[in-house]
Amino acid sequence: MRRFAATMALVAALLGGGAPAARAALQPADQPPLEGFVTATDDEGQEQLPAAPLVLTAYAFAWVAVLFYVWLTWKRLGQVEGELKALDKKTGAKP
Amino acid sequence: MQRWFLPLTVLTTVMFILAPIFIVQAPYESTMGLVQKIFYFHVPSALLLVLSPFVCGIASIRFLASRTPAADRVALAAAELTVLFGAITLATGPLWARKAWGVWWVWDAKLTMALLTWMIFVAYLMLRKYGGPGSERLAAGLGILGMANVPFVYKAADVWRTLHPQTSVVPTLPPVLAWVFWFAFAGFVMLYVLLLTSRVRVEAQRAEVDRLYLELEDSYS
Repeated sequence: MRRFAATMALVAALLGGGAPAARAALQPADQPPLEGFVTATDDEGQEQLPAAPLVLTAYAFAWVAVLFYVWLTWKRLGQVEGELKALDKKTGAKP
Repeated sequence: MQRWFLPLTVLTTVMFILAPIFIVQAPYESTMGLVQKIFYFHVPSALLLVLSPFVCGIASIRFLASRTPAADRVALAAAELTVLFGAITLATGPLWARKAWGVWWVWDAKLTMALLTWMIFVAYLMLRKYGGPGSERLAAGLGILGMANVPFVYKAADVWRTLHPQTSVVPTLPPVLAWVFWFAFAGFVMLYVLLLTSRVRVEAQRAEVDRLYLELEDSYS
């Protein structure tokens, strides 16, 4: 019984102690900033994601993909035409 | 090779050299700025992601109806090009979205349907490569399914709520942006025709190689 009372007292103390922290966490967003934070003074343009790397990456990807496919088709055509020439010779030379 | 192939190759090369110059010189769009310039390659490749499945689907229907090998070659070439231009669309779109929307990707109707269409044609190519004999008929069915999916991709932004701009963007472009777009689109269409013709030729030559092997075998047996 004494043990139960001690446990309940501990729980009550923990909940009571946690309440101010919970209240602080639920503070509305328009509260003044915490001490130690420094207000930004740079212009807002510096915070934005730069567009140039994204545009360059997009165009580079498109060019590389197209050139890779052109090279692949060229290689396939070269291989099959080589094979065709060899076969033409064989069929021409057969008895 | 057809007589028009070389002049078209030269013209397409010139257009692809000029396109970046025109794109750089085109004025910025008012709300998106520089990143909107991805539009000039993203939308033409997206339009080919919409048009190419029709080439594959119609060729597949023709192949299933008449068993014409030439139709099957066109279907295969168009499926490959759908995957190529789909990859360009699906890679350039998120790069644009990261800046314009703040995220790389959203699972909305337009983007999800485009990804699904692309995956259908990846499945088509895998089926053709690993499906074994007779896989061309099953693949033709997949090509028709891919084609049936396309209207949903095209109209998704108009029908469902989505972050993606609607199809009305292109027809209502200001003339100073529109001509650069249509120039890039013409270049992409010519590139598509060239690549399709070359790829069909590869398959036609392969068929000829197979025929010669059979002929050679018959002559020795």
